[in-house]
Amino acid sequence: MKFLNKQTISVLLGLVGLILPQFIGFEGLEPAGQIALGIFLMAAIFWICEPIPIFATSLLIILLQVFLLSEKGLFASSLIESGYTPQSYKDFYGTMASPIIILFLGGFSLASAAVKFGIDKTLTRFLLKPFGSKPQFVCLGLMVSTAVLSAFMSNTATTAMMITVVLPIIAQLDKGDPFRKSVALAIPVGANIGGIATPIGTPPNAIALAALRGQGIDIAFSTWMLLAVPLVVIMLILAWRILLFLFPPATDEFKINLDAKVDKSPAAIIAYIIFGLTVLLWVTEKIHGISSSVVAFLPIAALPALSVLDKKDIRSFSWEVLWLVAGGISLGLSLKHTGLASWIIDLVNWGSLGSLGLLIVFGLVAYGVANLISNTVSATILVPLAVGLGVSGAAGADFNMGISIVTIGVVVSLSMILPISTPPNAIAMSTGVIETKDMAKSGIVVGFIGFAITLAISLLYWPLFIK
Amino acid sequence: MKKIYILCVDDEPEVLQAVEQNIAELEDSFPILTAESSDEARTLVKHIADEGNLLGLVLCDHVMPGDNGVDFLIELDKEDVFSNTRKVLVTGQAGLDATVKAVNEGRLNHYVAKPWQAEELIKIAKDQLTQFVIRSKINPLPYMMSLDAEKLSEYIRTEGIVTDR
Repeated sequence: MKFLNKQTISVLLGLVGLILPQFIGFEGLEPAGQIALGIFLMAAIFWICEPIPIFATSLLIILLQVFLLSEKGLFASSLIESGYTPQSYKDFYGTMASPIIILFLGGFSLASAAVKFGIDKTLTRFLLKPFGSKPQFVCLGLMVSTAVLSAFMSNTATTAMMITVVLPIIAQLDKGDPFRKSVALAIPVGANIGGIATPIGTPPNAIALAALRGQGIDIAFSTWMLLAVPLVVIMLILAWRILLFLFPPATDEFKINLDAKVDKSPAAIIAYIIFGLTVLLWVTEKIHGISSSVVAFLPIAALPALSVLDKKDIRSFSWEVLWLVAGGISLGLSLKHTGLASWIIDLVNWGSLGSLGLLIVFGLVAYGVANLISNTVSATILVPLAVGLGVSGAAGADFNMGISIVTIGVVVSLSMILPISTPPNAIAMSTGVIETKDMAKSGIVVGFIGFAITLAISLLYWPLFIK
Repeated sequence: MKKIYILCVDDEPEVLQAVEQNIAELEDSFPILTAESSDEARTLVKHIADEGNLLGLVLCDHVMPGDNGVDFLIELDKEDVFSNTRKVLVTGQAGLDATVKAVNEGRLNHYVAKPWQAEELIKIAKDQLTQFVIRSKINPLPYMMSLDAEKLSEYIRTEGIVTDR
């Protein structure tokens, strides 16, 4: 094997990024900030080039933080001498048990029970029924079902399940019928958009919510849904019309098999009840006032306690996704605490852009980057900068930090141009029904229209909720 | 990414060619190797293991000069690196004893009686390779197009092989 392959070059580059800032004095950056800059650069390079899995990079971040930046770290005393108050190492570890991670864990527990008892499949059949058998409406039905499920389950697992629903539909259609592509694209498009709808819909939402919480802005589960669901509904309808315009059906009608076996075993019934109860408590947070992160522990504890989930199910949670998010949150802590975020922000004269210009720039960068790398990572890199911008006041008084954070969290989910943009895209692509250019066509149109709509909503509608 | 090979073993070149032709559509995703004897098959198998690649499927005749096919399959089954390899006997002459031995001692996965139908063989090959991908816990995305996409999607759904990022 060659020594200088892409992997080793990326690793070396990352290490240079980590070490170099320690030897170059930057004006206005304290030693702690330099260490944070090194960690930030290494993380960004590793996340972008992926010489190691992205969650492993997140773990490395926490490792470096506890060793280099915490009060128990190697440089604690010299950092204190420089006037910096190191954070407790518990803060970095604590990200893995932060309320937002627990909220996701609650979602994972529900999703695991849903998959185990086929609740996702039953629900899909139920949701698809009202859409009949006309191709256009079946397509809409597929998108709506996918979106609803992906709002509560992982976008990827939802896509995989929905692919099993659409393959028989595709098999019925003529090889030359463009509608095959509409059907195949309806799933990833619906899943990507649907993830926006709830706090637990997709990991980037967690990054946004954690940052908001760090700024003392607590957004209830239901408030997030109030912010996001109108956008999701508009986007689904538009994306549906776009798909039908690009790949119109050549047939008038076809059969879809909606026979569902509903699991009526006691364990399944308990799963339905806990699923329903948890979701109900989440969406009514404003009424009863119990935080969604508190409610989240209900499924986490009750499902194993009632033998609905066993230890194998708990092991099969996507723990690496939680670590990915935790590392992202942890990095955000240091960016803020060491003053690195404000320092980066001060490198550019943002004031000239105006608050709308800033929102557009941040949104476009987040959207663009998310098309190429992990959505969570692009939110992780950009959200702390938006926080820095807000805190430093460089953006002017009318810059709404809360809304910028939510905007970044949302637009990364609109990235769906390439097969690598999101795992749902990759799965849909791997069926061989669509070509990269089909995905690019629909992805560009849906993405840019979605971006414009998100911007409009963030200016006109969200200020009603986030002051 | 590790390559997943298909190995076809038969002492008659015409039969070997027919098998290869029947499953040719898999060639892009699963390189096909052929051997005319158990000895030749052993060499190929050793080569696959040495390169760190995988053997997904063996389609093997029984009666051949030298070691017979069943003995080769049993031997293969004992090797850890090939414990997930799917083993199919393609034969007209394996008696009951040999077949039972292949099932019991070699964990034979499928028996195809000669002469076979082309559609039958490709379907069996796809089914077996789908099982191989699932049991070996391999990322199924590169193989969805050539194998049973529905089963592989179901596998992603239940096992979380691909996750949000």
